[in-house]
Amino acid sequence: MRELEFVNVRKTYRSPSGQDLLALADFSLKIDGGRFVSVVGPSGCGKTTLLRMAAGLIPAEGGEIRLDGGLLTAPSAKMSMVFQGIGLMPWKTVEGNVALGVQLQAHRRKLNEAETQLAHDTLAMVGLKGFEHYYPHQLSGGMQQRVGLARALVRQPEILLMDEPFGALDAQTRTVLQDELLNIWGRVKSTVLFITHDLDEAIYLSDLVVIMGRRPGRIKQVLEVKLPQPRYSYDARAEKEFAHLRSIAWQSIKEEL
Amino acid sequence: MTQSADRLSSGAKFSFASVGGGHYVVATFSFIGFLLLWQVVSMNVPPIILPGPLKVAAAFVELTASGELIRATAQTVWPFAIGLVIAFVLGTALGLLLGIFRPAARILDPYIFVFWSIPNIAWLPLFIAWFGVGQLTLIVFVFVSAFFPQLLTVESGAKEADSFLVEVARSLGGTKREILHVVVLPAALPYIFAGLRIAVGRALVGIIVGQLLIVATGIGYMFQFYGETLSLAKYFAPLIVIAALAVLLNRGVNWAERALIPWKQRAFV
Repeated sequence: MRELEFVNVRKTYRSPSGQDLLALADFSLKIDGGRFVSVVGPSGCGKTTLLRMAAGLIPAEGGEIRLDGGLLTAPSAKMSMVFQGIGLMPWKTVEGNVALGVQLQAHRRKLNEAETQLAHDTLAMVGLKGFEHYYPHQLSGGMQQRVGLARALVRQPEILLMDEPFGALDAQTRTVLQDELLNIWGRVKSTVLFITHDLDEAIYLSDLVVIMGRRPGRIKQVLEVKLPQPRYSYDARAEKEFAHLRSIAWQSIKEEL
Repeated sequence: MTQSADRLSSGAKFSFASVGGGHYVVATFSFIGFLLLWQVVSMNVPPIILPGPLKVAAAFVELTASGELIRATAQTVWPFAIGLVIAFVLGTALGLLLGIFRPAARILDPYIFVFWSIPNIAWLPLFIAWFGVGQLTLIVFVFVSAFFPQLLTVESGAKEADSFLVEVARSLGGTKREILHVVVLPAALPYIFAGLRIAVGRALVGIIVGQLLIVATGIGYMFQFYGETLSLAKYFAPLIVIAALAVLLNRGVNWAERALIPWKQRAFV
């Protein structure tokens, strides 16, 4: 269950000069349920395109994207996406933004009692207890992304899609949120597809690191990270295995730059 | 990690006039200064050029006591309010529709622009021919004055709805209707108020010009009458009413805006 599969997915973009650019060529990847998979690669390798297709925001041109065997073509209630730009509604409070995750999933304006409780529990889980009535502009970038994460988690997604969610945050905040994400993932057991350009982040978080080659986007190498979870319980970044994987991955990416 | 809620504020605001909370004191003193200056100037010119504030106050009291000013204000406020409210409702509704359905806007926008470009006053003879000399023409004139600024401001706001927020709402499963409700309408709200602020000003001009030129009633007619008879002290009474009305309406719009848009960040205070 909670298995996400890309089968021969293609995508072309038309450039302003009228040329067709192949962004993604016959991309195939199977992500087992409950796994944390990161995709890294140089910019323009189609990794964000991949995620937007999985989220049902743009159609795949060829091939199929499947969730537990069922074809995905539109945004699914079983999925949640977390964006680098966060995308909180400025006119809604923290509480209102999190509630939106349920409202647009259930197509109801009012949350029932259980859902309200869930929203509060989720806010507590991401460390935002006491901030329910704040507006986004009153929060720091890191706290805003906690709201973004809560809005995704409150939907109890089978698949969590994350598009460079910590890319715009400062290094300290990023490290803290990485640990919290691992902690939360350990509890909710969603399958995670995580896009990043930060190799260390990919290795630290994931079971599997998918390295993509430059245009047309395709899988170049898949690394399995065997360091035990949860990785915040010890200094995973200082492990030999970590340095070893980073060295392999960096070699692989360097050829694509 | 813990962060204390009270350490977060909405951020320091920047003020050009660093008078702190004393702006009521400043306003009072500046008003007294203005009255003194007015008095001094009026004492050095013939009363036919500029009557002093005391004479104006006396004329104001006299016109109020006789009921003339109150009657004229009522005659002005009603057609003004009716025309403005209809313009606000229709202008907002059509502005939202045209902001969202761009193909329809591409067809209608040129016509709207042409109508908007023609000075309002040029419509008057036509309106009189169509609707006669009376309240209806007055209301239509106020409506036309306020409708176009409302429509155009709201339209430009609605079409600027953030495409990223629309995408976020889509990813959460939002239908077109839900996206309209949670993204487009709230984003357009500040523009609805910006439009209203302009519409109020235009409608005020419309009602005065209309009463001057069409129906010979109300505040507009008082301007004409006391202007032509050179009773300048009395001429200032309707002026004060119009100024008070404008200030009151602007305050009302500001208040409603702050109440309905609590999320808006203001760079300057």
